[in-house]
Amino acid sequence: MEETKDLSEEINKKIEAIQLKVLSGEISLLDLDLVPIFENIKDSLNIGNINNYSMVFKNGFQLLVQKFEELKILINNLDKKDSFFQYLRSNPDDSEVYRLFDDCWIKPYSIESLSLNFLNYSNEKLSKERGSPVTIDHVDKIIKKQNFLLEVPELKFTEKIMNFFNNIKNKFPCSFNEIFENEQDQIKIYEKFVYVLHLLQLGKIKYQKETKFLYI
Amino acid sequence: MNEFTILVHLLSKKANGFEIGATKEEIIKKLSLQGKNESVYFQNLIVQLSNYLEPLGLQIRFNPLSSRWYMAFEMVTSDLIYANPFEGKPRLAATLFCVLICCLKNSGIGKIHDIKKLRKKKTVIDDLKELRNRGYIEVNDELGQVRLTPLIGYQLDLNKLFIKLTLKLTQQEK
Repeated sequence: MEETKDLSEEINKKIEAIQLKVLSGEISLLDLDLVPIFENIKDSLNIGNINNYSMVFKNGFQLLVQKFEELKILINNLDKKDSFFQYLRSNPDDSEVYRLFDDCWIKPYSIESLSLNFLNYSNEKLSKERGSPVTIDHVDKIIKKQNFLLEVPELKFTEKIMNFFNNIKNKFPCSFNEIFENEQDQIKIYEKFVYVLHLLQLGKIKYQKETKFLYI
Repeated sequence: MNEFTILVHLLSKKANGFEIGATKEEIIKKLSLQGKNESVYFQNLIVQLSNYLEPLGLQIRFNPLSSRWYMAFEMVTSDLIYANPFEGKPRLAATLFCVLICCLKNSGIGKIHDIKKLRKKKTVIDDLKELRNRGYIEVNDELGQVRLTPLIGYQLDLNKLFIKLTLKLTQQEK
């Protein structure tokens, strides 16, 4: 059985402290939330400590009854509309009345565009079944004895383009096919095609649509 | 679509002018609730939807001036987003309070003469005009009467206000 701490003494002390404060007029039970006390009782009560809790229950309910009595008095007072009228006759300051409104303002929630169709659509979207979440597999770390060196290409990209340009410049004017005619490797062809595009962009070579020829 | 979808729509829609939300009868009709337990079912729906909305900082409220249920931001959020429409205008708020008390005393209708007498301010008529322009009151110049529109019932927790006032007066008596 799950063991729960016996808080009966602690809760009882708390209730006694509240009763003293209420009697001295320091606090009003109407301003006090009793729910946490009863939540505490509920959460810490079990078969093992139930005997210790009878007094806590009694004292807790005494507070609750007292609170109901205060509430009854308040409700009776609420019905006396004349007292409100009398209050106004006493000519209270504007700022005093203004402060009464504090914590009483409400902001209504109203959205013009919130149509039934929109809600229905949102509802369908929200309740749509989603696939299993993506799992991230962590990569195992490999400890290498050698120092890790980042491989830096021997030539800069612009140098590669210019080398390529120097190699083919004698072929111009020529077609695309002629530039790649000796190349068999698809990756190499792609690489060189990228160079051609860059050279076209840089204006080093030109292309004539009508003849489909490249020229300098 | 479920009941909550329809309820959210009904409770957040602008009905007409300053009216928001729906009455219990309208909700029961739209949801086709029938039988002798319709009120219990209605209450359960409101409570359950309220529980759903709570984490979103929203709550369901009842406007006693129009008997309509509506959705609003909860008090803490309302404070954060400056829900007070009389910010920096205590004079206007005090006149509205005076109208409230006069209407409460005379079954919903306040007399301009009484309000003038209670407020003891030269600006009362100007204040009443501004309150009318803002949609809070209706003024009948011929009869010298004012009546509250439901608007203030949406923007102000009247129960809380009267409890605060009662507590204040009780403490003063002590």
